[in-house]
Amino acid sequence: MAVLQDIVDAYQGKIVKPSETLIHKTTHLLQDGMNMRAFGEYEKPKALGDARWTDELILSTWYMAETGEVPDNLNFKTGKSDGGFDRLDFQFLPESDWLEHSEAIDTKLPLNRRGDEKNKIEIDIPWYGGGMSYGSVSVNVMMSRAKNARQWNSFMSTGEGGYPPELYEVKENVITQVATGYFGVEEETIQAAPIIEFKYAQGAKPGLGGHLLAAKAGEEVAKLRGSVPFVSLFSPFPFHSTYSVEDHSKHLDWIETVNPKAILSVKVSTPHDVDMVAVGSYYAGAHIIHLDGGYGGTGAAPEIAKKNIAMPIELAIPKVHKFLQKEGVRDKVTIIASGGVRTADDIAKAIALGADGCVLGTTDLVGMGCTRCSNCEGGPSGRGCPWGLTTTDIELQEWVQQDWGAKRLDNLYTAMQWRLRDILRKLGLSNVRELRGRTDLLKYIGKEAGE
Amino acid sequence: MLESATHVGLQATDGPLTIDQFGAESARIGRSIADEYHRYHIETEEVDDADPLPHRFLVKVGKVGLAKLIGKEALKYFGQFDVILARPCTYGVFSGPVGGFVPRPKLCVGCLRCEVQHPEFVKVLPNPDLLTLGDSYTTPGHITAIDEEAKKGMVPVRGQGYRGRFGGPGFDGMLTDMSEIVRPSRDGIHGRELIGTAVDIGSKPMHLSFDSNGKLSGSIPEMFTIQVPFIFDLPPGDLGTPQLASVVDSTSRRIDTLACLDAHTVARLGLDAPNIVPVLDNTEASRVSEFPNARLIELRSSPDRPWGWDAAGFDIATEATDAMIGIRIHFEEGWQNRMTQAVESGVKVIHLLADLHGRGSDDTFVTELFKEAHMLLIEQGRRDTVTLFGGGGIVGADHVPKAIISGLDAVTLDLPVLFALQGRSNGSLRQRKQVAGTLPRHLDQDWAEQRLTNLCGSWRDQLLEILGAMGIREVRRLRGEFGRSMIVKHLEDEAFEGIAGYVGGDC
Ligand code: SF4
Ligand code: SF4
Repeated sequence: MAVLQDIVDAYQGKIVKPSETLIHKTTHLLQDGMNMRAFGEYEKPKALGDARWTDELILSTWYMAETGEVPDNLNFKTGKSDGGFDRLDFQFLPESDWLEHSEAIDTKLPLNRRGDEKNKIEIDIPWYGGGMSYGSVSVNVMMSRAKNARQWNSFMSTGEGGYPPELYEVKENVITQVATGYFGVEEETIQAAPIIEFKYAQGAKPGLGGHLLAAKAGEEVAKLRGSVPFVSLFSPFPFHSTYSVEDHSKHLDWIETVNPKAILSVKVSTPHDVDMVAVGSYYAGAHIIHLDGGYGGTGAAPEIAKKNIAMPIELAIPKVHKFLQKEGVRDKVTIIASGGVRTADDIAKAIALGADGCVLGTTDLVGMGCTRCSNCEGGPSGRGCPWGLTTTDIELQEWVQQDWGAKRLDNLYTAMQWRLRDILRKLGLSNVRELRGRTDLLKYIGKEAGE
Repeated sequence: MLESATHVGLQATDGPLTIDQFGAESARIGRSIADEYHRYHIETEEVDDADPLPHRFLVKVGKVGLAKLIGKEALKYFGQFDVILARPCTYGVFSGPVGGFVPRPKLCVGCLRCEVQHPEFVKVLPNPDLLTLGDSYTTPGHITAIDEEAKKGMVPVRGQGYRGRFGGPGFDGMLTDMSEIVRPSRDGIHGRELIGTAVDIGSKPMHLSFDSNGKLSGSIPEMFTIQVPFIFDLPPGDLGTPQLASVVDSTSRRIDTLACLDAHTVARLGLDAPNIVPVLDNTEASRVSEFPNARLIELRSSPDRPWGWDAAGFDIATEATDAMIGIRIHFEEGWQNRMTQAVESGVKVIHLLADLHGRGSDDTFVTELFKEAHMLLIEQGRRDTVTLFGGGGIVGADHVPKAIISGLDAVTLDLPVLFALQGRSNGSLRQRKQVAGTLPRHLDQDWAEQRLTNLCGSWRDQLLEILGAMGIREVRRLRGEFGRSMIVKHLEDEAFEGIAGYVGGDC
């Protein structure tokens, strides 16, 4: 009878924690499948990709995540969105003037430029991992990203979902996010973090706050967020305690009291007065101003918000960079750009436009298998990502195993750092910090006749 | 003692109220307000498809390959049914009675797990039939969005970021702003119940005049209010069937807006009512008296009096009815003069019309045209004396706030009605008269009314998202607020100025 019941359960697709054999079978099928596509053993899936993340960008990211190298036969640099990063290119020197491709090309980025007593943090690459909350992603995904951050002497932000205990193992590389719902914000989680990030808004849904659907707010998620299991959770907009730069300053003072060494990041979206917001944040005490552009990722957002509210990151960076320069404070603060930054080329372009570094989110997920199908919020199944990324479903989350995920990201970052160095050397720069604001090294590719 | 008790609606008494009396009276007033309480809301409810759009994806499974896999796995994982029967699709595409042998593609969301996992025998393809919908302006993307909105009545929400092009022409070249910290509404989406979407139709005097006794002496506002800033326009092409008239009539009544219908249809079907805007040719202006219940009647051009404004027709109409007379003006050469003359003659509602790609006869896009109309009226010191409707090219929820930011009071909906009702079009959708469309053969009244209601509910909710992000409490304040928008081209000019090869205006 028990066997019969097993058959019925399996046939009906009953959701249970998968057996080791099933995990082994599924993960191998998925991983082999990704590799076969990335290596060109099968044709590109016809339904893969969109204007921002083309099929080639996704497959090249899979390739890099598997091999640690950039591919020869796939465009790993740009998408086809017809603007922004996709119409910018570099003005490389003649080949005879290129530097050697070498590890001596410095990609380090200091994050604290205020010269104060707080943590002096320098990361090995000019990017770190953006916030994805526990609940919107599983612990396995969080740990994959955090372990990779440790590997790269960089960071990963918790997002607004609390601090799963597993993260303490890598706390030196974890940023605690304080967002408007204050989910999981506790004294210990603030004290654990070298960087605290205040999230005022998110580029994909600026001005709208956040929403975790009930189906994804299960027992474990609820425990960390201090909420009732399977009840939808809202992060309001804006901080209900902040209606002025003075209020904002009080926020930062609060963190300083709880963790005097932590450096402070302020994440904002990109309204027309983003330059004023940035300078206000600087004067309130921020070390990092994190600009999140309109084309960034999200676990769930109204479609109308993604495309229409606030500006793309490419347009916000120069505005803020130039304004802070005019104010004479540009060298006292680190500008980090996110929201549509996909590749090493995008990172270099963002820096040339005036950022110091970038934050990646979707790129990490694509590295671990994301196809950009947009069902992260639950999709019709209500279970979240079928690839095991943006889900806490007890079965699906097992498709991403921590060590595999961390290795994929390590490989991806290796390839991206290689490409960043490649760009720098072709521009004659031996240091990524020399690239900041060098719009003279960029060119804009206009439309061809008939395009 | 409360000397001004009557100012708050308390019942008059012989003398000042005691505190106790005041308490009792206040409670009575509170109860009566609560009894009468009504907050505007559009009741949405998911409805089934009548004529579903083509599925987004086709799922092709090689049956031999699948059979081989099952055979191989049955041996390899003998007795482990959870492993043998595990399917890659969490959406049920392979969960029919015979699993993957007869997939159910309508459930496919294109995650591609099956195709990546089993490249030898599974293929997921974008459905080419979907790409045949609409035309170059009203794209399959617009049509599928309208279809989903009309089916569910909800704001479309999805994971991952934006998938489309950077900026773009028309409405895509405009972004709406948001307020990062300081927000007049102080509450974002949680207070969005408090954001108003009502608009006033008609005319307000630019200033009030009083006589020596302090009494109003000049003109007073002549207005009525509708609850959403969108109204149904005349169905384009050959879609103006009695059935459709009946659907837009009942829906506009239900959601408290207006529906423009051909006056002959209104008369023939007996639809004369406050929510109906009969539309008459200028040459038939005297017939306005046949619609005693209408609050607004529109006059349009006739072959011998083209593009809208006809002073004689307007005079005849105003003589014959108390209803407001609106004038439909097409964006054809000289429209500015016609609009000015109409407003000077006392017209209180101007209905501006571009083609269905949102272009005027000189190819200018409606955002520019609406702005020009709005600014012209401001320069003339007359903006509040007239209500501006505008239509043409409004096929997405984001187009509503963008058109209002450009200067309109309300937008008019044409093609969205066709696609909300799962109609199909054939050929170009640019010229109103040439639209060839078909509605589902059996247009059930209740079904169709709910679909249109859902569309309006979804679009209103999306408007609230935009207003909420800006911290604006009512849509009336969005009119002509160009500062609440950002033009991609201008932002690019600012951001990319000086970059080699950038010449500006490239989008
Ligand atoms: S559901 Fe998964 S695969 Fe699809 S976009 Fe979201 S993270 Fe990527
Ligand atoms: S692509 Fe995804 S949703 Fe479609 S059939 Fe395959 S597994 Fe199911």
